[in-house]
Amino acid sequence: MKIERFDLIIVGAGPSGLSAAIEAAKRGMKVVVFDENARPGGQLFKQIHKFFGSKEHKAKIRGFHIGEQLLQEARDAGVKVELNATVVGLYQDREVVVRMGEEVHHFKGDAVIIATGASENMVLFDGWNLPGVMGAGAAQTLMNLYGVKPGEKVLMLGSGNVGLVVSFQLLQAGCDVVALVDAAPKIGGYGVHAAKVARTGVPFYLSHTIKKVEGTDHVTGVTIAQVDNHFQFIEGTEKHFDVDTVCVAVGLSPMSQLLKMAGCEMEDNPKRGGQVPIIDDYGKTSVPGIFSAGDVSGIEEASSAMIEGRMAGVAAAEYLGFMTADEKKTELDKLSTSLESLRQGMFAPKNRGKNITETEEGIPISTNLLSKGFVADDEIERYPGVIHKAGIHPVIECTQNIPCNPCQDACNQGCISIGDNITALPISVKDSKCINCGMCVASCPGQAIFLVDEDTGDGKASITLPYEFLPLPEVGAKGKALSRKGEPVCDAEVVKVRSSKAFDNTSLLTISVPKEYAMKARFFKAE
Amino acid sequence: MGRISQHPILGVQNEEKKIVTFKYDGKDMQGYEGEPIAAALKANGVMVHRYTMKQHKPRGIFCAIGRCTDCVMVVDGEPNVRTCMTPLKEGMDVRTQYGVSDKPFDQQ
Amino acid sequence: MSELSNRSKDIGEFVPMPDDDMIVCRCEEVTKGEIRKAVHEGLWTIAEIRRYLRCGMGLCQGQTCAKLVKGIVARELKCSPALLEPATSRAPMRPTEMHVFADETEETDL
Repeated sequence: MKIERFDLIIVGAGPSGLSAAIEAAKRGMKVVVFDENARPGGQLFKQIHKFFGSKEHKAKIRGFHIGEQLLQEARDAGVKVELNATVVGLYQDREVVVRMGEEVHHFKGDAVIIATGASENMVLFDGWNLPGVMGAGAAQTLMNLYGVKPGEKVLMLGSGNVGLVVSFQLLQAGCDVVALVDAAPKIGGYGVHAAKVARTGVPFYLSHTIKKVEGTDHVTGVTIAQVDNHFQFIEGTEKHFDVDTVCVAVGLSPMSQLLKMAGCEMEDNPKRGGQVPIIDDYGKTSVPGIFSAGDVSGIEEASSAMIEGRMAGVAAAEYLGFMTADEKKTELDKLSTSLESLRQGMFAPKNRGKNITETEEGIPISTNLLSKGFVADDEIERYPGVIHKAGIHPVIECTQNIPCNPCQDACNQGCISIGDNITALPISVKDSKCINCGMCVASCPGQAIFLVDEDTGDGKASITLPYEFLPLPEVGAKGKALSRKGEPVCDAEVVKVRSSKAFDNTSLLTISVPKEYAMKARFFKAE
Repeated sequence: MGRISQHPILGVQNEEKKIVTFKYDGKDMQGYEGEPIAAALKANGVMVHRYTMKQHKPRGIFCAIGRCTDCVMVVDGEPNVRTCMTPLKEGMDVRTQYGVSDKPFDQQ
Repeated sequence: MSELSNRSKDIGEFVPMPDDDMIVCRCEEVTKGEIRKAVHEGLWTIAEIRRYLRCGMGLCQGQTCAKLVKGIVARELKCSPALLEPATSRAPMRPTEMHVFADETEETDL
């Protein structure tokens, strides 16, 4: 048996592992990244939505494009990524045991970074073992990596960001999402993610969960029912849906077994998602030379994982003398500021489990948004992005404090203002001139911006909305305008369709509706 | 079920991949070379990958990333092969797994 | 772990529930009722439960059911799941055939 030595061994070639490898390789370290999958990038290549954050966090870029950029950066830095290489053991003195093909190989890392990510949680219900019940991640893998529909009619359980985002992606793949269900009384994910699903007509059932999945050899239907405050079913509230697929998105758990095996001090921390290593701010565990980064040390977004990865890479480089303590401090301070800005707002890790009823600006949160997925007509006017004025202007239906500001950069006319605090609600600036370029509509990762002209003459109004479905309606197409709730409210005609490279596959539909629906119509369904 | 021929964000998927023929429980079936066996089966409408050892219950794709091992089948004579992780090749022999065998329980 | 090492703690009798035949460990087909019963038979740690019932000992090594089992055991013991020590982590972390695990090659050149 021969052991090959590396300065740094990284387990996991996802967003954090690759980021760590880049930082270490840039400092001249001999680095290898092992990943059990056939392709690198972890879950990034399944993320086809535009990311939140600010420019430095690659906001408004789709996840899979961020993945491509990261891979290119890794190649440029000379990072070696070994695929189909499953780390099966992490022994004393940072000996890493890797299965490659039909052989087992041993390596020694002077430093080791564990970036193994997370796995999906499950809940028990009658029929959860039937073929057709799958993790939301499985559905995402099938449709976004392999181009196969997970099912035709799907029920989604779980209203966190994963449940919301995957529901939208199922619609994009041409599947019918019959309902979005969550046992909690409130939607767990971003309101804007919920709103873009709700306006297509998907009903939300909060305080509901699955009672039974039906079928003998595979799923043929599902019955949900309302639950009380103690999560007990309420008799007589059952609702049945004919479906062939049930997706489960009820959270993630860190895959931290390797860290435990290596003897790192662990804790059960519900705020971080389960068993996690006890680490300092930069990923250093209790075992000298072993670091961790990304979801394995606490469930967050891919954007945070990339920064944590860079931090661990820098920390490992300094640990082995590839940079000075001063250089390390400068780098880590920079990265900390960037990470801290992502950890703000009402969905920040520190706010998990808190009951937040108003925004940082003191505006009450929409109760309809939390319980039904859409902001009601009588609630929308209270937000600073929603204004009335003559001519075309942006109407920004962004109602929660989330770390995101691409809209502000997208508008070069100064129509949209967020300020330095990236979690602030965007303001639609009244004395500014919108030139109808559409960049704000296409740039908003939450698809929450509409260009509205409340009076185009002849008693009509025009609404420009983001559209990411096929087939793309043509100019002159007639159909119904749907409300925020996804209900048909009036006739609508498509008067303009815009697609552009700058919009990155978000098309802009402009529909004409009777002018009393200017503030109600938010989606278009062709006849 | 089936393939997504045109996707609003990803465009045409699987465009340049080679179509291969494999056997599913003795029948000819087609899929793309290199895609996971499970993806090819799903595209062909196959839901059941195996029947469990004790209760003889059907199982199919559950995690699709090689964690849960529920999608295992008998591939080229070898049982317990994770079909969501194993690339499809021309002429592969893929069979429903009963317990750990490719023979239905009444023939074991 | 002090709360759980107190074996005089009264956790009550095993009470049958309507969902006792629900499969929890998908690989080894262990039911919720079997796990609940095992707790009342005196198996209070995840390691004991695993050895006794084999839940989490199958092909997937508890990837899916570990958290579920922990939750069920904690509920029977009337304690927080955080108090239960998770199962021991040991190699191989992923299903590995013995002939592969034993095949340590001479040459490793990356």
